Amino acid sequence: MRKIFLKVVACSLLVVLLLLAVPSINAQRPKILVYIGGHGGPGYEEWWRQLVTEFEQKYGIDVEYQIIGFEVYWDKLVAAFEAGTPPDVALADLGGWVPAFADKGWLEPLEKYLATWEGAKQIWPNLWEAVTYKGVRYGVPWYCDCRVLLYHKELFKKAGLDPNKPPRTWDELLECAKKLTDPKKGIYGYGVSGALSEITTLGYMIFLYGAGGRLLTPDYKKAAFNSPEGLEALKFYTELYTKYHVSPPGTPSYTEDDYRVMMAHGKIAMAIGGPWSFPLIEMENPAIKGKYATAAHPYKVHPATVYGGWAWVIAKASKHKDAAWKWIAFMDSYDVWKRWALKWKGPMPARIDVVFDVPFFLEDPLWKPIITMFPHAVARPPIPQWPQVSHVIQLMVQNVLTGKMTPEQALSWAAKEINKILAGGS
Amino acid sequence: MHSKHGEEKLAFMLIAPYLVFFALATIYPVSYNLFLSFRRGGTLTLTNYAELVSDPTFPLILYNTLIWTVGSVVFQFIVGMGVALLLNEKFPGRRLFTALIITVPWAMPDVVAGISWRWMYSDVYGVINDILMKLRLISYPLPWLGDVNLARIAVIIANIWKGFPISALIYLSALKTVPDELYEAAKIDGASAWVRFKNVTLPLLGPIIKTTVMLTVIWTVNYFPLIYVMTGGGPANATDTLVTYAYRISFKFTNFNVGAAWATFTFLLMLAFAIVYTKTLIGG
Repeated sequence: MRKIFLKVVACSLLVVLLLLAVPSINAQRPKILVYIGGHGGPGYEEWWRQLVTEFEQKYGIDVEYQIIGFEVYWDKLVAAFEAGTPPDVALADLGGWVPAFADKGWLEPLEKYLATWEGAKQIWPNLWEAVTYKGVRYGVPWYCDCRVLLYHKELFKKAGLDPNKPPRTWDELLECAKKLTDPKKGIYGYGVSGALSEITTLGYMIFLYGAGGRLLTPDYKKAAFNSPEGLEALKFYTELYTKYHVSPPGTPSYTEDDYRVMMAHGKIAMAIGGPWSFPLIEMENPAIKGKYATAAHPYKVHPATVYGGWAWVIAKASKHKDAAWKWIAFMDSYDVWKRWALKWKGPMPARIDVVFDVPFFLEDPLWKPIITMFPHAVARPPIPQWPQVSHVIQLMVQNVLTGKMTPEQALSWAAKEINKILAGGS
Repeated sequence: MHSKHGEEKLAFMLIAPYLVFFALATIYPVSYNLFLSFRRGGTLTLTNYAELVSDPTFPLILYNTLIWTVGSVVFQFIVGMGVALLLNEKFPGRRLFTALIITVPWAMPDVVAGISWRWMYSDVYGVINDILMKLRLISYPLPWLGDVNLARIAVIIANIWKGFPISALIYLSALKTVPDELYEAAKIDGASAWVRFKNVTLPLLGPIIKTTVMLTVIWTVNYFPLIYVMTGGGPANATDTLVTYAYRISFKFTNFNVGAAWATFTFLLMLAFAIVYTKTLIGG
């Protein structure tokens, strides 16, 4: 009896030990946590699952991934880094996130990986600026886009304008916008982004660079928009609302996101937009398909735009950096990108070879202006103080739109504030 | 004696889990925030508070917070009390009406409410401008969220709508405790409805009103999502309050130490308010 009992105990102990050993064997397979910001949506869940499974089988690395909505992504990412429990790999917005995180010491420098990566020379060259901090690259651009003019062809026709001849210069823009505006019907020619949002900064930047100005000095140490070009841009941008009233009365509370919805319903004829606008405007009103178009944004001196997009970064605190890098190289490989582009027709890959090998991008009339404008697109200054700088630009625009300051006053106030922020270190 | 001691022990044991939870969920973040607010570059310093006080927008933020709080609290009291008095009367469909009017604004998630109000205020196809124009109160759509003064009013209106149900609910349950005989006696004495309200209802509800007003003040000062969604604090800082400002510094500018100083300042302000208010009005 006793012997049997001992045997049973011994057997169960063995089973328990084996069970304990299984996870420890498994633990030799590295496991990485991946944060994917703002790339969910219908069909995408399944697509991400397929890609992750393919990666896991190919490299013997386990992947736990979270798809997080864009609205909460920044907060969630910052909280995770601040708490010391970041994901191994994450997507970071090209609008200043990479330098902000690098400055906090949260990111792993990627130069040693990039030195031997085949894709490095395929990335659009202007994209590197957005992921470089103090001369070191901390991110790998994954996809990109740039802002262009979005316009409503039917409204152009109704106003007696040629829908195939969008305005190319500021003068033409104003002339068209005046003809398109009809306040009695609640229709406005051009939507000026004026809300407290990064989008307002980008709107001003497109006019600023189109006037031949620039935001900061090339070393990012001082404001450079307090110039005749900067004033001209601020004046023209705000006067579209304050003087010519071609932008709706609520302008200081709207961004291009609001104007896109208004355009879908035939209330706004022109606004800034980008490739992300296409599915959204068609979702808002399916009947608008084929009735809107894109073009290079009107300029004063030369065509100009600002780019955006996403980059992959690796957390400094990650215990599986090599595995994390394999994930990035996989996601940014020619093969995965080409399949992605053919299946989803967008977004625009950060890899030049894919953009030119997938005929769609240069054949689609909505995409073509985006691809042709992209080489002209500038980065937002890659500095950790970017959110503060951008906030001052937004306040500058709002102060003029709401009549609290003249363009001259607002410009010199903003330049002073930004110089203070840039001199403050950190 | 002995049994009372045992009862106290039991009572303490019953609330012990809550106390532990309270300590973890409240005391820890508050003290960590306090610690953060004195920290800068590895040392403890007052720099973060110096930056707060010398911030040129500081007076404006205080002013905005005052307007936002007073406007919201006064009207949440008036609307809440009015609705409570109405619902205290007997009329057909009262229950359904109570459920609707009380739960719809209150149960709606903050962000959903904020987005809905944003669209309702729109000057291009917002329903509010549409109604005002049809009533011929205005001749052209107003930029509710695009004008410095209108935006202040607009966020307060939205907040009154969002917050009045809780006041109404508290007042309604308090009204139920007022004995009918008192009203009948007053009626016999020939007191009008207003006199009955002033001399019977208000004095009896006094303590409840004082407590509710204090709570709504604290909630309003700390209430952040509605403004954040509707205006983000704009235009030109017009709707920036202590909490939207602190949030931006911490989470947009990742300047957690200065943000913590703003949060601690708000906390101390509320603490001081609660102490003074309790001592003078509720009477310790």
